[in-house]
Amino acid sequence: MESHPSYKALEPLLKTYPHAAGALFQTYNDLSLAQQWNDLEVMDVPECSRGAFRGRRPKTDDLLYVIPCSLSESLSMSWFHQAFERLGKPPHIYLAINTEDSSIVYYKLSPGIVKPPV
Amino acid sequence: MATSLTRVVELRVSNHKAYVWDVDDIAILRAEHHICGVLTGTLPHVSQQNVFLGPPLILLPEEVVLLVQKEFAVLVDDPIAHHTPSTSKLRRWNSDRLVSIRAQMGAVESKEPNKKAESLSEEALRKRREREETKAAAARAKALAEGNTEESTLQDNLFSPSPSSSATPVPPAVDERPATPATSANLLGSLYTVTIPASSPASLPWYSSDGLTYSTLESAKEAGIWTYPSDLHERAKCGVFRDLWENGFYMGGGIRFGGDFLIYPGDPLRYHSHFVGTVIDSPTAALMPMEIVAHGRLGTATKKAHLLCGWDDEKQEVSYYSIEWAGFG
Repeated sequence: MESHPSYKALEPLLKTYPHAAGALFQTYNDLSLAQQWNDLEVMDVPECSRGAFRGRRPKTDDLLYVIPCSLSESLSMSWFHQAFERLGKPPHIYLAINTEDSSIVYYKLSPGIVKPPV
Repeated sequence: MATSLTRVVELRVSNHKAYVWDVDDIAILRAEHHICGVLTGTLPHVSQQNVFLGPPLILLPEEVVLLVQKEFAVLVDDPIAHHTPSTSKLRRWNSDRLVSIRAQMGAVESKEPNKKAESLSEEALRKRREREETKAAAARAKALAEGNTEESTLQDNLFSPSPSSSATPVPPAVDERPATPATSANLLGSLYTVTIPASSPASLPWYSSDGLTYSTLESAKEAGIWTYPSDLHERAKCGVFRDLWENGFYMGGGIRFGGDFLIYPGDPLRYHSHFVGTVIDSPTAALMPMEIVAHGRLGTATKKAHLLCGWDDEKQEVSYYSIEWAGFG
């Protein structure tokens, strides 16, 4: 992991939150390399004991927030609440769910009762 | 909305389930209180069908709790509200039933023969009369030839009644057809009627909810007829249901989409549901990412969002998160 080109950007958070390191590293690589996000930044979310990301999808201007987790973790409503608070109450956050085989699925979480798009 | 409908609805509780039997009450619940329930009554002949259902309406326990808390409805201990009827009340009920049967038969009778009469033109009637006369003449001639004058005379006399002949007992005329009135009498005898009471049991003379009506959940609980909500999960479901209702949504059971509630923006007869909701008992209750994937993906596939409805029992508050598939990754 240390020799990977992504390691340097993530180093402090990988060391602070070792249990979340796998999901953080994997999600960063997926967003930056596979999804080709721009302006990708790493953020600290101490309430959730992990790092998170902010960036833009290719050819879009909206700043999007992504918080990684593992499929086997146990989350809660207050966990979501704290993540939203720490990341500055954005309209939605993407939850990046990581599995052991390194596949990732993203789900969009919006606080409140938000009507699905037609 | 018809404001004149408003009244406190009696919910008839039997075995911890609340039923509504009166169609006007069902209309009040739906039109004024946005409470839909589920119609469960079926037809005696086609008890397996589930397309055209009618009263009774069964309510979700959360619907009952809301209706009572908002003072839109009271709970009635239904089984013991049916008192033992007195003989006179039973007689009255039976005679009413017979009147109803006669009224139904009368309605059929006035319909059926009319049809026949219409189909027979005057021409046909005249021809039939002629046929019958010819037949009678032939019979007379035959009887005359056989030398049995006495009987044929008697038969003739039967149809032109005179005091002397009517006093004499006559053997039945075999080839005389029974007249029309007799036919319709036979028809009536072969009919049967089934009355399905569409009215509320409250209309029965021996039904009385006096002293068996509970206007609060506490008093109904003391009486032992209603215990919901009895634990945290049930309180959470009631709290979430009430909050969504206060936000103007209509709710139905969520089993078809794997949730606790289906959440509609208006009457389910007019709208598709926008959300499938799951109730989460507390802010710290475990929520596995696998649930988010399962619910989120199903919701997206059915053009719904999944709604996580988190109950905080201390604050008596609900917080929501809507889940959708991100559309990438």
